[in-house]
Amino acid sequence: MNTPDDALECGHSLADLSTYLDTGEIADPDHLKWCPECQAGLASLRRLSDLGSELLNSDVADAGSGSDDWMQSILDNLRLELRPGRNIPLRSGHPNDSLFETEGAITALIRSVADSLPGTAAGKCRLHGNITGGTDDAGTGSTGVSTGTEVEAAAGAEAETDAAAPGTGITVELEIAVVYGHPMAQRAAELRRELAKTLAFQTELNVEAIHITVTDVLAPSAPSTPETAAPETAAAGPEPTEIAAAGSGAPGPEAPAPSTREAPEPADTEPTSREDQP
Amino acid sequence: MTEQLEPVGMAPAPTTQPAAANHARSSVAEDLLPVIQGVGGVAAVYQAQPLWQSIAGAAIAAVTGESLPLVAVTEGAENVAVKVRIGVDTALPAPKVAREVADAIRKHLFPRPAAVEVYVVKLGQ
Repeated sequence: MNTPDDALECGHSLADLSTYLDTGEIADPDHLKWCPECQAGLASLRRLSDLGSELLNSDVADAGSGSDDWMQSILDNLRLELRPGRNIPLRSGHPNDSLFETEGAITALIRSVADSLPGTAAGKCRLHGNITGGTDDAGTGSTGVSTGTEVEAAAGAEAETDAAAPGTGITVELEIAVVYGHPMAQRAAELRRELAKTLAFQTELNVEAIHITVTDVLAPSAPSTPETAAPETAAAGPEPTEIAAAGSGAPGPEAPAPSTREAPEPADTEPTSREDQP
Repeated sequence: MTEQLEPVGMAPAPTTQPAAANHARSSVAEDLLPVIQGVGGVAAVYQAQPLWQSIAGAAIAAVTGESLPLVAVTEGAENVAVKVRIGVDTALPAPKVAREVADAIRKHLFPRPAAVEVYVVKLGQ
């Protein structure tokens, strides 16, 4: 299925949806009542708008750090992820039935979980692995209602089977932007827990790892001390080299304290992401 | 996009008159809608066939003024194929809701054999 880069499956674009949010005008308003992709897009744009309002109401806006780049990055990913994507099979109760969740529904769910945390906005979200490989008994991961611990146990059991078998573990990759002043490491840990719990509850995916990378810290202008001279680039930049210290964003004894994360060391330029069991 | 179910308008030739068959399919689809909506956890039922995939149906609907059924029903020689796209409330696990939707459709159509496709296209608000 080919669609123009700026269009969703239904033919509408994010620009259409944004205009609709701003003006209430769209060519076929009834379409919005039945199109899940447009509804997910509107929900994401509303959350993005809320986050923008938070920025405007904070010192960040006064500091002139700008938000165009990171917001554009998020919008670019929304265009991709609001499409239905792959059909992820679910176990059925009858051999003649075929049940699926769409990849777009799951990435929208992941995005909504991330966006529900104050001062946090989801960027790129990807599901890696054999998500369409089938749901036979031998290859299935979690079974509906389960806890993150159960998911971890399931992931361990799956590790003993053929890595290419259907239902083998998948990896969630999520990038987020965090508004300066929100505790980053705590936020990432909380987000990972919530995602593990939500995905175990709402999908049959065998989630082996959730990678969270904080790619943008929307920080105020450069502080006066030399060792904290990088926030402006960290605030504006989607480039990996600018996410340095922010990228760890995960719990653990080695995680940088929230108060120091806006001061990446010059040598620490590799983007980092944490791979943890959910 | 990997959805493969034939559009309603492309169903195998039925043994009855086409108009009558279309009416029967539409009736079954209309009957199934409240059955699906009545399943706990179903927050919305979306057009089974995205509009861009059923241009012919959309054109007919535009001319006749009839709205396309939300549930796609295809009468086959062996069974009745039903396709539905749903949104699920996050209070209940979507896989379980999808299975219950399929079960509800199957029970409604009983004793006719059915092949049910359920797509969860939206989770939560």
